[in-house]
Amino acid sequence: MSQISRRQAMAVLGALGFGATAAACAGPGGSTAPGGATGPAAPATGAITGRVSFAHWRGEDKAVFDELIKRFAAKNSGVEVVQDISTSNDYNAQGLQKVRGAAIGDSFATFRGAQFNNFSEAGIYTELKNSKAVGNYQKGLLAAGQSGDSQLGLPYQVVFPMPMANTDLFDKAGAELAPKDWDAFLAMCEKLASSGVVPISWPGGDVGNGGQLFNCMIANNAPADDMCAQIEQGKLKCTDDWFIKMLNQYKDLIPYLQPNATGTAVEPAQNLFSQGKAAMLATGSYHIAAVRNLGAAFPIELVFPNTSTDGNATFEGVYNATFILGVNSASKNQAAAAAWIDFLSEPENAGYYANQTAQHVSVKDVEYTNADLKRLSPWLDKKTALAARFQFQNLDVRNAVEASATAVISGSSPEQAAEAAQKIVDERL
Amino acid sequence: MSTHTGTAAKRKAPDSTTEAASKKRRSPTRVNPALYLFPLPAVAIIAFFLVMPTLQAFQYAVTDWNGFSAAFNYVGVDNFVRAFTKDSLFTNALTNNLKFVLLVVIAQTVFSLLLALLLVKNSRGNVVLRALFFFPTILSSVSVAFIWKFIYDPNFGLANSALGAIGLEGLQGSYLGNNSQALYWVAVTQVWFHAGQMMVVYIAGLQAIPRELYEAAEMDGANKWQQFKSITWPFVAPATSIVVAYTTVQSFKAFDLILGIAGNPPKGSLDILSTRIYSTFANSEFGYAAAQSIIFMGMIALVTWLQRRLLRLTPKGE
Repeated sequence: MSQISRRQAMAVLGALGFGATAAACAGPGGSTAPGGATGPAAPATGAITGRVSFAHWRGEDKAVFDELIKRFAAKNSGVEVVQDISTSNDYNAQGLQKVRGAAIGDSFATFRGAQFNNFSEAGIYTELKNSKAVGNYQKGLLAAGQSGDSQLGLPYQVVFPMPMANTDLFDKAGAELAPKDWDAFLAMCEKLASSGVVPISWPGGDVGNGGQLFNCMIANNAPADDMCAQIEQGKLKCTDDWFIKMLNQYKDLIPYLQPNATGTAVEPAQNLFSQGKAAMLATGSYHIAAVRNLGAAFPIELVFPNTSTDGNATFEGVYNATFILGVNSASKNQAAAAAWIDFLSEPENAGYYANQTAQHVSVKDVEYTNADLKRLSPWLDKKTALAARFQFQNLDVRNAVEASATAVISGSSPEQAAEAAQKIVDERL
Repeated sequence: MSTHTGTAAKRKAPDSTTEAASKKRRSPTRVNPALYLFPLPAVAIIAFFLVMPTLQAFQYAVTDWNGFSAAFNYVGVDNFVRAFTKDSLFTNALTNNLKFVLLVVIAQTVFSLLLALLLVKNSRGNVVLRALFFFPTILSSVSVAFIWKFIYDPNFGLANSALGAIGLEGLQGSYLGNNSQALYWVAVTQVWFHAGQMMVVYIAGLQAIPRELYEAAEMDGANKWQQFKSITWPFVAPATSIVVAYTTVQSFKAFDLILGIAGNPPKGSLDILSTRIYSTFANSEFGYAAAQSIIFMGMIALVTWLQRRLLRLTPKGE
């Protein structure tokens, strides 16, 4: 073997350096979105075999999905489904980068709003309009997974981001569960406080969970149903009267929240509620299973903080259709991934998921046997607003707008808090 | 070169190949060129994982790329201008970060030096205490964040419970929920987390100081403070240099601690540069986040350089 000269060695190193520099200078982007001008295609068909990665953020549902995976594998020999689970915050922040390219996430879920739209824009979804699964869903709940004429995703869960109530404590205090307006809501809180409990446990130290109350507070205050989208576009402002009025109503809540509410994380807030020290937990029905696991044995209802001042509220509550299921357009195993989504969407399997996780689903003809779900099922037929905070496409804007409420509870004046929020919105217009 | 080989050429006049071969054999400093390939794997790894992403960051920083689209525009220095003039979230994170660095660098340096001075002797008790103070360092930052999150919880947390138990209810607070104090409480956590590690650096520095210097100083009548000022402090300057530089970088990058303790995204009062960059990436603004990353890199370099200059931790000629 001939010896390499110093010149040759330097040439190799130089070429390596040049290659690295050249590679670094390649423009971002790289590939066009699958689908391109023709729009998304339906998942490929073929044998239901091989390994399917199911990417999502519901770590608490892992065991339930494991059981469903077993059933799916029993029905389709040669198929294996593995769950790739991230925490909800990480999934929200990095889900697109993780799933893009389909190294994981042959099938996946997205949050409603900004994440669904980003996935959609990146061409990650396939078209499910003509899938077997889509017919199993309640038509009115499919909108969150639509983009133009396409049905890209199937919103699987229906959650009610409204305060959960310990009805035993309400009965004891003689408090009304369905206040007709804001004064009635405050009167209800007053009765609860007089009975010696904290009326509302609110995780103000947790941006994600603390922000759910915003959905309720804004629903009947805003002049339009797409108020958050309009704030982001600059058509409505945080300094508008209706928004300031909402912030003043947040201020009304201060005496009824646990002390130092803005420093409370979600787990301690859940503990206050499950231990019967607080009558309401201002997060949402998605926490039923968590508080049951913490030992809450009392009956749970939902309470809508009705902000209407004249008793003529447009909405009786709020809901969110989320956990939007999809099949990855870059997946090499689309047939099996689509079959998995079809399987989850069958009423029997959706029912199993719902009853085991204490969450309603948007699949039709599901029989709810879980006592909590049975009790809360009437909410599915009430006039509820789609949770507004997910209209925000820009997370900085969303956080800034919601932070105005936290600032008010911390002691800022509603006007100051609104101006601070609007400043950030304006910077991002 | 010709001078070096001239005599041999006159004497023997061998052909050039033989001469070159004999030169290779003769020269004691001559390195086999094949050895230049030995660092190749390391160079390749550095080029691929460090140089390339850094160069790419510079390129992305002048675009409005969203992280997934094929299309993007070159925007020149707009992203940099935006960061400093039109983005109060970024300037807030920058202010928080500088405040955090200042607090932690001062507190951690003083506290770790104090611990080191108290525990410098190798007695059995001191060894146990050193291990105890070093213990937090081996914990993962996420565990530390969760431990302190519950200590600071205003309802069930250890801090308020302890204050209540000794009758100091008036001092109970919201800790992380208080926007004007939150950063200070996280700084306390950061110091608790890393002071033990820095203490070890100082102990090594202190144990290298010759005992004779203290004995001579004592004979000259120098008191403890004078001994510290004239002997200990100058001799631990190299250790201080390491502690300050390491703490600075660590405090700039307290990403996992902040995210663990304050959630994702952290609220404005706890947002620092690294968490802001992460939020910007998560918000599908890759070009802008890359520009923020470059500013971040420059900021760390600048602060570290300034510290070394101002504290005169690098003696001339070193």
